[in-house]
Amino acid sequence: MDPKSDRYYISQVLGGRIDGFAYLVEMHKDKAFNLAFRICGNREEAEEIAQDAFLKAYRSLKDFKMKSSFATWLYRIVYNTAISLVRTRKNRVLSVEEFPADAVDFLGLSSSEEEAADDYRNSLINFALQKISEAERGLITLYYYDDLDTEEIAKITGISRSNIKVRLFRARQKMGEIIRQVEMKNDFYNE
Amino acid sequence: MNKQEINDEDLVRKFLNPDKIERTPEGFTSKTLTRIRIETQSEKADKGFFARNRVPVISAVITAGLIIAAILLPAGETGSIGSAIWEYFRDIELTLPGLSLPTWAIYAMIGVFVMGFFDVVLSGIFHKENTPKP
Repeated sequence: MDPKSDRYYISQVLGGRIDGFAYLVEMHKDKAFNLAFRICGNREEAEEIAQDAFLKAYRSLKDFKMKSSFATWLYRIVYNTAISLVRTRKNRVLSVEEFPADAVDFLGLSSSEEEAADDYRNSLINFALQKISEAERGLITLYYYDDLDTEEIAKITGISRSNIKVRLFRARQKMGEIIRQVEMKNDFYNE
Repeated sequence: MNKQEINDEDLVRKFLNPDKIERTPEGFTSKTLTRIRIETQSEKADKGFFARNRVPVISAVITAGLIIAAILLPAGETGSIGSAIWEYFRDIELTLPGLSLPTWAIYAMIGVFVMGFFDVVLSGIFHKENTPKP
């Protein structure tokens, strides 16, 4: 058995060695955290969601049949945990006016123009993500950040492939519209 | 090119950098493992007396039930369903070619069947309880 594979460490954990789980956390923590963060939009909540997901995974590890990869199984737990949490809280609707910055405003916070532009784009994407539904945020994250195909996303979310394509299309439309609005607003103030 | 003409796919890809993922805060792994250790240990401790000792408790209850039933069964009396069943089992004579089993062997075999039945039922119950919900 490949000592570096998830399966090796899963069998260690099932054999009573909890330390084997540290490897699994270490390997998958950033992607799990990123998915949680993109869905809930808050670092503290994302950390809580990611921890909850790892705890649930640990408790249910003996039921993991290895039909899918550990990552797919874990992301399913993260996705469902994050969606449940976001649906229980009331979200404030953000207006385009609440995204105050353009790339120039990030110059003071970044070491270079390039980094400032990158930070601006990242902030704008986060802003646009908060304007679409939590399920759409999850789909966008899995499709663009994790570069997963619709078949893999279907396994994680439980949504059909055709429905994923439709939802991704709509999410892109909404995000595109928001990005255009913010860019137009910034152009207007910079003129 | 007009901004409106850029299609949504290109626009999202232009702004979304897949390498810029949000990373976990410092100490996430150790915090998670500590939480797992604490919560799994407290779950074991939180389980009640019955949950922790269900196998010996149920075994003791069944054994006590069988002993009480054996004591209370009317010897030689007829008229009730219990005594009718008792009569039925008592009158069973098991013979094999060239082999005549003593009476106690018949009771022992019935006992084995009864205990086997309980074993299958209890095994089903405990196996179900040990399987976590998906």
